[in-house]
Amino acid sequence: MSATPPDDTVPDGDDLVAAEYVLGVLAEEERRDAARRIETDPVFARLVTRWQEYFSALDEGFTPVSPPHHIKSQIDHRLFGTDAPAPAMPLWTSLVFWRGLALAALLLAMIGFGRDLILQRPAPAQLVASMAADNSKVRTVAVYDEQTKRLKVSLVAGDMPSDRSLELWLIAGNEAPVSLGLMKSPQVTEFNVPQGLAAKLRDGTTLAISVEPLGGSPSGAPTGAVVAAGTIRAI
Amino acid sequence: MTPEGISELISRVSLRDRAAFDALYASTSAKLFGVCLRVLGNRTEAEDALQDIYVKIWNKADRFAVAGTSPISWLVAVARNHCIDRLRARKGRTEDLDEASDIAEPSADPEQSAIATGEARRLGDCLDQLDAPRATAVRGAYLNGDSYELLAQRHKVPLNTMRTWLRRSLLKLKECLEG
Repeated sequence: MSATPPDDTVPDGDDLVAAEYVLGVLAEEERRDAARRIETDPVFARLVTRWQEYFSALDEGFTPVSPPHHIKSQIDHRLFGTDAPAPAMPLWTSLVFWRGLALAALLLAMIGFGRDLILQRPAPAQLVASMAADNSKVRTVAVYDEQTKRLKVSLVAGDMPSDRSLELWLIAGNEAPVSLGLMKSPQVTEFNVPQGLAAKLRDGTTLAISVEPLGGSPSGAPTGAVVAAGTIRAI
Repeated sequence: MTPEGISELISRVSLRDRAAFDALYASTSAKLFGVCLRVLGNRTEAEDALQDIYVKIWNKADRFAVAGTSPISWLVAVARNHCIDRLRARKGRTEDLDEASDIAEPSADPEQSAIATGEARRLGDCLDQLDAPRATAVRGAYLNGDSYELLAQRHKVPLNTMRTWLRRSLLKLKECLEG
């Protein structure tokens, strides 16, 4: 017993057209017809899906090849237009905004840690940095509290990747980047800045965030793409 | 990345999550670029096709949920279908047939070894039950996007004969896979 027909007939039927579509042997017009039927005929679409599953066993025959880097930014450009964060957000350059932010941070600190308002000395100059980069959605702000030696960093746009870590780096002048640690939360991550490094946190120093393997850079130097960078300003 | 991880990324892309799109691109673009290079046999065209494919993936990610296939099969199918459409739409077909037969003659080894493990074994066993030239034609069509026209030319038979031949092979294959 066999479904194979006698030698002189061409086997026929939707199931074979579905198989031919998946295999890719159809000519342009027949192929277009089949593609249209997938959209309109659920029974035919299911036949296609089943052949797709059968033949996907051959997918391993496609050897992966890394595409050139510029392809992804061209895709992003086509889908999302050019990223032009600076003109779109004049706020970031506004001193008033930064003073407001510093004041808000100070108020939060006072409420959050229950500081004694009476003993609070006039606030020293605040150090802040906004970090962003072309081709990246990630934007962060950093505020440094010189009294507690704590640097607070928040993501204001973009997402934390679930399968990578974001690592914060301090770059003083021409020195090599020094890791300050990993971003733990998109809201606020507090970094303890060691004594030696605290002296380097000053107006003009660069902060940068790179994408690293989970747990941080294995080498102690940035290995992945820098998704945000900015200069520290005293306000 | 696990199939579950890729499924989740595709679902998040359907919700317009750009970070998920970046992660999906990072973990799947090499495979899909491999598909483009193999089918199109031309680097510049493969780069163009890869862009179109990820634009499609962004726009059609919601279709994955109803496709009912494994995530990588779905992505490879989107890529293959796009590249084969491009192949069929090429102008100056005769010239392209010559060019394609230069690069498309399948080297048996990678495909054979791909058939060695897991769920692929079943398809491999069933393909092995076909006459060797027919199994090669089926594999070659899938991996290189060979058309009936090109297969007929390569095997020096009329197009209709080629079609009969391949359809019989597909019926046998199906009997074996579902038997």
